[in-house]
Amino acid sequence: MFILRFLARRLGQGAIIIFLVSALIFTLLRVVPGDPVRLMVGGMAPDTLVEEIAAEMGLRDPIYVQFGRYMGKVLQGDLGESFVRPASGAAVGGASFDDATRGERAKVLDLIAETAPMTLQLAVLAMVFALMVGVPIGVWGGLYPGRLPDRLALYTSSLFVSLPNFWLGIVLALLLSVKLNLLPAIGYRGFSYTILPALVLAVEIAPFIIRTLTVSVAGVMGQTFIDIARVRGLSRNQIVFRHALKNSAVPLLNLLGVQFSMLLGGVLVIEFIFDYPGLGLLTINAVMQRDFPLIQGIAIVTAAVFVLINIAVDLLATAIDPRLDY
Amino acid sequence: MTSTDLPLAMAVPETGRRVSTRIWQTAFASVEFKIGLAVFVVLLAAALLYPELSGIDPSKMNIRAKLTPPIFMGEGWSWAHPLGTDQLGRDMLARALVGLRYSLLIGVSTTVLMLLAGAMIGLFSGYFGGRTDTVLMRLTDAQLSIPMIILAITILGVSRPTIPSIILVLGLAGWPVYARVMRSTVMSERRKEYVRGAMVLGATDLRIMFTLLLPLVLPPMAFVAVLDIARMMIFESVLGFLGLGVQPPTPTFGNVIADGRKYLMNAWWIATMPGVFLVLTLTSINLMGAALERARNSIYGGA
Amino acid sequence: MALDMGAAPETLLSVRGLSVAAGDRPILTDISFDLAPRSILSVIGATGSGKTVLARALASWLSPPLRVTGGRILFRGRDLVADPAHARSLAGREIAYVGGNPAGALDPTMTVGAQLVEKLRAVRPDMSADDARKKAIRLLEAVHIPSAQRRFHEYPFQYSGGMMQRAMIVDALISDPALLIADNITQPLDVTVAAQILKLMRELNAQFSTAILFICSSLPVACDASDEVMVLHEGRVVERQTPAALVARPGHAYTRELIAELPTLWQGGENGASRATDRERRAIMSVRGLAKAYEVRARGQAGISRVQAVRNVDFDVFPGDNFGVVGESGCGKSSLMRLLTGLERPDAGSVFFEGENVGAASPKRLRELRRRFQLVLQDPYGCLPPQSPIGAILEEPLKIHRIGNAAERRDRARAVMAEVGLDDSLYRSLPTGLSAGQRQRLNVARAMILEPRLLIMDETLSALDQTEQGKLLDLFDKLQAQHGFTYIFISHDLTMVRRVCSRIAVMYLGETVEVAPNERLFFDPGHPYSRALLSAAPTLEERRYRPEDCLLEGEPPSPIDLPPGCAFASRCPHAFDRCRTENPALRARGGHALAACFLNPEPDIGLHETVTETPHV
Repeated sequence: MFILRFLARRLGQGAIIIFLVSALIFTLLRVVPGDPVRLMVGGMAPDTLVEEIAAEMGLRDPIYVQFGRYMGKVLQGDLGESFVRPASGAAVGGASFDDATRGERAKVLDLIAETAPMTLQLAVLAMVFALMVGVPIGVWGGLYPGRLPDRLALYTSSLFVSLPNFWLGIVLALLLSVKLNLLPAIGYRGFSYTILPALVLAVEIAPFIIRTLTVSVAGVMGQTFIDIARVRGLSRNQIVFRHALKNSAVPLLNLLGVQFSMLLGGVLVIEFIFDYPGLGLLTINAVMQRDFPLIQGIAIVTAAVFVLINIAVDLLATAIDPRLDY
Repeated sequence: MTSTDLPLAMAVPETGRRVSTRIWQTAFASVEFKIGLAVFVVLLAAALLYPELSGIDPSKMNIRAKLTPPIFMGEGWSWAHPLGTDQLGRDMLARALVGLRYSLLIGVSTTVLMLLAGAMIGLFSGYFGGRTDTVLMRLTDAQLSIPMIILAITILGVSRPTIPSIILVLGLAGWPVYARVMRSTVMSERRKEYVRGAMVLGATDLRIMFTLLLPLVLPPMAFVAVLDIARMMIFESVLGFLGLGVQPPTPTFGNVIADGRKYLMNAWWIATMPGVFLVLTLTSINLMGAALERARNSIYGGA
Repeated sequence: MALDMGAAPETLLSVRGLSVAAGDRPILTDISFDLAPRSILSVIGATGSGKTVLARALASWLSPPLRVTGGRILFRGRDLVADPAHARSLAGREIAYVGGNPAGALDPTMTVGAQLVEKLRAVRPDMSADDARKKAIRLLEAVHIPSAQRRFHEYPFQYSGGMMQRAMIVDALISDPALLIADNITQPLDVTVAAQILKLMRELNAQFSTAILFICSSLPVACDASDEVMVLHEGRVVERQTPAALVARPGHAYTRELIAELPTLWQGGENGASRATDRERRAIMSVRGLAKAYEVRARGQAGISRVQAVRNVDFDVFPGDNFGVVGESGCGKSSLMRLLTGLERPDAGSVFFEGENVGAASPKRLRELRRRFQLVLQDPYGCLPPQSPIGAILEEPLKIHRIGNAAERRDRARAVMAEVGLDDSLYRSLPTGLSAGQRQRLNVARAMILEPRLLIMDETLSALDQTEQGKLLDLFDKLQAQHGFTYIFISHDLTMVRRVCSRIAVMYLGETVEVAPNERLFFDPGHPYSRALLSAAPTLEERRYRPEDCLLEGEPPSPIDLPPGCAFASRCPHAFDRCRTENPALRARGGHALAACFLNPEPDIGLHETVTETPHV
C-alpha cells in the first residue's frame, strides 16, 4: 500500500522532471545559433531549398508549437527520427543529401535501444571494478579514522579523482594495448573490448565510493549503538559486519543515485576515446551533427533513467533503514 | 562529485575562534594539506613565470626541432625543451604551463559562480520552504538529471566556445548540488533557537537570511568547493579535448592532448606529458580540498 | 534464575582500591566497596564526580584516554582488571549494562526483537533462535510492554523513550546476569515515566534476583530506588548508608549540602504563593480556546497525519504575575510558546496581549508588538547567534527596531549587561567562554533591552544547577521589582514553579487540565494528572501522594491518535465510563482554581464564567 502511494508520488514528480528536461533541452537547441538544416543539406545547397525543407519539417514554427507537437509524440512513445542517420548504416553526411532517403531515417528510439545495452555493459563492469576497489579501501579507512588505512583512503581517492578520464584512457591504451598488447582498446568486437574502458570509468567512480564509505563508516562506528554493542556482549565481527556496514550503506546508495549523471558524463568521454559504440558515442556524434531529435531523445531517456534509478535507490534505502520515509 | 558527501544537515558548532579560522588551522596542520600546497605553489609559480621569463613562446613553431623527445627519453633530446616538442616544434613545457593558466582561471571562476548561484537558490528554497521550495527543487532535480557534460557540449557544440561562455555554461551546469546542500543546511539551521530568537526580536526574513544564516553556512560550503575547482578543471580539459574548449592556437590541456593523440605512436609525449602536469596540479588541489573537507567535518562533528 | 545460585559467594562484586585516570588526571581514587547478590546499591554524585566512569570501569568499558591505574574489581572472586579476556566474556552475560540514552542504544535498521535475540545468542550460543525469541517476548511482557508479540517486530524508532528504556532493560536481563549496572537510566525520561521505570526495576530485582548498581544524580531518586546509597565526591567514596540513615544523619559535608539544596514541594520555605497578584487590573495576556495541529508524515504510515499539539488551552495572566505552565515532554508546551509569541498562528482560538490578538496581527504589527513582549529561550547554547560578540548580540534588537544611534545603543547594551550581572569586559568577547548561567543572563539581557512588559521564559532555568537557578531567580525578582515585568514560566520542573509561580497551569497532551493558584495546586490538586505528576516528583519529603495510587502502568496515548474522552483516562486510576467517551472541560472549583475532571462537583456558575476566569471575590 505505502509502496504504491510512494511510487505514484515519485513517478508523478519524475514526469515533471522529465517534462522540464525536455523543455530545457528543446529551447536550448532552438535558441543557440547553428542551423541543423544547413548541415543536413550541405553547404552547397541553395538557401531556398534549406528554407523549404525547414518549413516542411516544421522548424520555422514558433518554439512552443514545435515543443507541443514534439511532446505530443513523445507521449505516444515516439521520440521522432534522426535528422541525419539513415535507418541502417552510418550517418548520412551533408554532402550525400538526397531527398529520397529522408523517408528512411532512423528512429531515435531504435538508435538508443541499439546502443544502450553496450553502455549498460560498460557501466555495470565499471561499477563492479569500482566497488571491488572502493569498498575495501573505504571501509578499512572508516574503521581506523586518522590512522594508516584512513590516510591510504585519502591519498588513493585524491589521486584517482585527479586523473582526467580522457588522459587516463590514452595512457592506459598506450601501455596495456599498444606496448604490452594485453587488451584491445579501440572499437568493439567482443567482451574484451569493454575491459579497458570499464577500468578507466572505474577509476573515475572509485574515489566517490571510497570517500563516502570512509565518512559514513567512521560516522556509524562513532554512534552509541555500536559503542554499547560491546558491553551488550556482541563480538567485533558481529558489530562491524552486521551493524556498521549495513548502516553505512545508505549514504553509498544515495551517492550512486545522485552521481548517476556523473557516471554518464564519464561514459560519454570514454566511449569517445575508445570508439566504443554505446550511448555516449551516439550522444557526441549527435551533438557534432546537430541532430536535434537524437539529442532530445537521449536527454529524455537519460532523465527517465535518472528518475527510475533514484526511485529504486530510495526504495532500497528504505528497505535497509526503515526510519527513512517513503 | 564532491559536495554531495557534505553532511546533509550540518550542525553549527559553538566555537571560540571563528569557524573558518579553525578549519584553516586544522587543515593546515595536516600533512596532506602541506604537500598539496607545496606542489601547488611550485606549479602556480611556474605557470605564472616560466613562459615569460624563459622567453619561449608556446605558439612559436620550429620545424627543425619538431618531435623532440623529453629529456633523457629517446634520441635527440635537448635541454632547451625539457618536455620535448610537438609536431610543429612548439615547446611542450611552455604549452602545458600556459594551459595551466587557462585551466585555473576557468576552474576557479566556474566554481565561484556555481557556489554563489547554488547558495542563493538553496537559501531561498530552504528558508521559505513550501511552494518556493517545491518549484526550486524540481528545477534542481531536472538540472541534476541531465549529465553536466551533455548540457555543456550541447550548448558549446552549437555556439562558439569562448572563455566567458565556458565559465557560464559550466557554472550553470554545476549549481544544483550546492543548492541542495545549502537548502538542507538552511532548513536545519532555521529550526534552531537562535533563528527563532531573532524572529521574536522582530528581525525580518531577509535580515535573518543574509546577516545571520548566510555568513554562517556559506564558509563551510566554500571550503569544500576547493574540491570542485579541480573537478571544473577536468571538465574544462574534457571540453578542450572534444574541441569545445578554448580554441587553438591558445594551448589548453584539452586541445594539446587531443592534438597529441594523433601522434601517439611515434611521439607519445605530446599527449601524455601535459597530462602529467594536469594530474599533478589536480592532485595538489584535491589534497588541499580533502584536508579542508576533513577539517570541516571534524569541526562540525564528523559525518 | 541466576546461574549457580547455590555456589554464589557472599559478595558478588568486590571493588578494592580502584583508581582510574584520564591521561594523568585522576578521575577515580581508591574506590572500595562490596555488593551483595540481589541487593540494590545507588551511587550518587554531582556531574564530574566520576560516577559514570565507575559504571564503565565495572562494565570493562573504558576507552582511551581513560584507564585503570590501580586496584582490583573482583567479580565472584576473580579480578576483572587483571584478566581482560575473562571480563570480556562476562560482558552482556553476567554483567549487564543499561545506559541513559535508550534512543541510540540499538541499531536503528533492525527490529528490537531481532537485536534482543542476536544479543542473547551472542552470549549464549547454545540457545536456539526459537527459544531466544520466546524468552525475549516473555521478558518484554514482564516489563509491561503492551502487545509484546507485535512490538517484538517493531523498530527502535517506533518505541517511545520510556518503552525503549524498558526494552533495554530486557536486553540487559535476557541473559540472566548476576549484576546489572544501571547508569542514569531515568535521566532522559519524564518524571511520571521515570517513576514507572523505577517501580519496574524494583519488581525485577525481586523477581530475577539480579544485583543492581544504580547510578544517578538525583538524591531522591537514589533513595527511592535502593537498599543503600553510596555518595561519590570528586572521585572518592565519601559515605555509604541506608537511605533513611543518610537523610537523617548525613556524614559528609557534601551530602549535607546536597540535602540542604533540595527544593521542597510541601514544606515551608520561600515560595511563589506569597506573591500578590493584581487581579483587579486587565489581564496582560489572555488565552482562549487555543488550538494548533501540525501535519506530519507519520513513519511507516500512508498519507499525512495531524498531530494535535495544542487544544483547549485557556488561561489569563495578570500584570505582575509569575504564571507557570508545567507539563511533561510532548504536552504541547513548546507549541504553546510559539503561539504565545506569534511565531506561529493558531488554528483556532486567540492570544490577547494587552487587548490585541497576537494570533491575528499583521507581520508588521507583530514586529511592533514584540517590543513589548519578549521570549527567553530554553537552550543556553543554541539560542545565541554563534560568532557574534556579546555587545553585538545585545545591540541587535535595538538595530532591528531602529532605536538610537550607535553610541546610544552601546551605552544601553552596557547598562543592561551591568543590570543582569555581566562584566563590562565581556562586551567584545564571543559568548563561547560563558557558563550556562552567564549565557542565560545574556539571554535575559537581550530580551529586556527593548523594555518589554511581558517576558516568556521557555525552560530558561532547566539547564542550570540548583545554585545557579537560585541566583537567576533572585535576579528575576530584582528586575521585576525595578521594571514591573510580568513573567510566564514554561517548565517541566514542579519544584521550580512551586518556588516562583503565583499561579500554575498544568498541561497534558495539549490541554490545560488544571489552572490553579500555587498552594491550591500542591495541596489540593483538582486533576488526577496533577496528582500523578506530584506523586512522581523527586523529593525527600514525606509524600502526600504515592505513585502506586496515582498512576497506572501504560504510556500516554499518541497525539496523532487521541482517544475520545479524557486523554488521561488510560493511565488514571479513577477513570470511569464517562471519561472514555466525553472530554471534560475546565471548570471552576472556587478560589480561582479550575480543573478539567468529572470527579469535581458540577459548578453552579454558568459555563462562560467558568472559562473566562473573572475575578470573583
